[in-house]
Amino acid sequence: MKTISIDPITRLEGHGKIDIFLTDEGDVAETYLQIPELRGFEKFCEGRPVEELPRIMTRICGVCPEAHHMASAKACDAVYHVEPPPAAKKLRELLYSAFFAGDHATHFYALGGPDFVVGPTAPAAERNILGVIAKVGLEAGKRVIQHRAGAQEVVKILGGKAVHPVTSVPGGVTKGLTEAERQRIETLAREFIEFGEFTLGVFDKIVLGNKAYVDLILGDVYTHKVYSMGTVDAHGKVNFYDGLIRVVDPTGKELVTFPASAYLDNLAEHVKPWSYLKYPYLKKVGWKGFVDGPESGVYQATPLSRLNAADGMATPKAQAAYERMYQTLGGKPVHAVLATHWARVIELLYAAERTLELATDPEITSTDIRTVPTATPSEGVGCVEAPRGTLYHHYATDEKGIVRKVNLIVGTTNNHAAISMSIRGAARKLIHKGVEATDGVLNMIEMAFRAYDPCFGCATHSLPGQMPLEVRIHDAAGEVVRVLRRG
Amino acid sequence: MGKGPSASAARPERIVIVGLGNPLLRDDGVGLRAAGLLAERLAGAPVDVLQASWGGMRFIDLLAGYDRAIVLDAIEWRRGPIGTVYRLTADQAIPTVRAMSYHDLSLGSALALGRALDIPLPAETVFFAIEAKDTRTFGETLSPAVEAALPEVVRRVEAQLMQWNVRWGEPCTKPALHST
Repeated sequence: MKTISIDPITRLEGHGKIDIFLTDEGDVAETYLQIPELRGFEKFCEGRPVEELPRIMTRICGVCPEAHHMASAKACDAVYHVEPPPAAKKLRELLYSAFFAGDHATHFYALGGPDFVVGPTAPAAERNILGVIAKVGLEAGKRVIQHRAGAQEVVKILGGKAVHPVTSVPGGVTKGLTEAERQRIETLAREFIEFGEFTLGVFDKIVLGNKAYVDLILGDVYTHKVYSMGTVDAHGKVNFYDGLIRVVDPTGKELVTFPASAYLDNLAEHVKPWSYLKYPYLKKVGWKGFVDGPESGVYQATPLSRLNAADGMATPKAQAAYERMYQTLGGKPVHAVLATHWARVIELLYAAERTLELATDPEITSTDIRTVPTATPSEGVGCVEAPRGTLYHHYATDEKGIVRKVNLIVGTTNNHAAISMSIRGAARKLIHKGVEATDGVLNMIEMAFRAYDPCFGCATHSLPGQMPLEVRIHDAAGEVVRVLRRG
Repeated sequence: MGKGPSASAARPERIVIVGLGNPLLRDDGVGLRAAGLLAERLAGAPVDVLQASWGGMRFIDLLAGYDRAIVLDAIEWRRGPIGTVYRLTADQAIPTVRAMSYHDLSLGSALALGRALDIPLPAETVFFAIEAKDTRTFGETLSPAVEAALPEVVRRVEAQLMQWNVRWGEPCTKPALHST
């Protein structure tokens, strides 16, 4: 048995490791994704007043604090059996839409984009955002920076604090919007839309304009026919902040639509002895292992699966882009994992349009932004679409609102099984006897992983700034016969 | 951004100290703690002290307009005992120009990106990284060996400032800490 190990983070921060086990013949026997576990979160939360959690939850991860803030706020509403006034919901969604517009842009330009814009087999030293700028132009880089700053400004105006919003409380928000602030957000929202269209143009020109990339996207290396999950509004359109969770089967037929409070009736978690990771699956279908098809309860919760699960986008420009994607890729649903990058850009445009819609909503400057809870708190579930998948927060408290129990399913967790399948699928297709495991081949395996925009750590800042990639090839006796390193 | 005047103007150097970390993940919060201590000690000094939870592209926002920067962070490097304080330079963080996080840019990449875009960024960035024991358990306390390293971090940051010809008097009572 030979082993190839892709270990991008040797002892650095909370990231994962990919192990690839080869047969004596040099083919891929099995692959494993391993992620270090964070411990003690439930205990950390127990005994605290539940209304503190929307602020604490923003600290559990440096990447999407806003998503945790929103899911936590909604769980608190549910715990206190209180319905926020319409303006409060709109203010939360406005903040959240701006966050989404910024977050998706970061992923596309810094992480997903380089594989396509620079090329999947380009040298690692060029396959980064600087490589993207070298190809797309300096002006594009400036726009990315400006766009992100704009998104953060909106979060700061509405959240009371950049990055870690503090505005939400059970029953609403503490900070309303002045007319001057509203005007500023409206201006920024128009810029977001321009930026979203510009980004879609970049994708069009560079990715879709290159037949080799389109073939790569549609090729069977990165295709799994699994179930798709996403939140839909009352009209069946994609929504990030609120709605019902819909799951469609691999042919696009609805399996189930459920409210957040029913998540435990619909999801179960499979556990493997070799990993801390839990593998959620659809209860109705059951766990059949890391396989696709209608008999397997594996699902995805990603930008692409959200588009697959919904009937369309609620805003006009995003809807046009949505239709174009399905036309180009041969109809709905799409199972090409790399098309997730396209879906992400469409969602970016939707988030931008939604920001403008809400910023120009006559009710958005209303001062009726909180319903004070009067019922005795007990238990509740809050759910939003995080950039990387459906995010569930479930809290139970005593009658004074002191936390007794916390359960979370975070965005990336939904996709653990699918991510594992994508890595295995890519490895099996790309590594064979006689095929050298080059940097390019390894990157193509990592590409499968990156499409999900997975986020495992709460600390994304450890030093030094290296992401060493180590590949160790062992012979049948377990001796290391070759070491490949990148970084 | 945009707070940086042109480098040619005759003005004192702008210096920033950025403490990074997650205050809820035990030793991961050491950079924040160190920044908190420094903010009090350096209250009269012509430096800004910031706390941030996240680098990535945000480094550009945090560091723009400064001439020199000191970044404080936890590290799990295992090249020394727990509590070891390493001094690293921007060059050491740059080699991969690739995300160390799967979600965002490394500090080195962020600096390189900012420079490519003509954003005024520090000519010199020094990191003090503290070898951490536990950054995976939720809690608000540091491991004893990491806690014990705080005075050394403070001393070395102050020595670095002295080397940069920064002078300051007695700390005043009002801390100048900016949380971001």
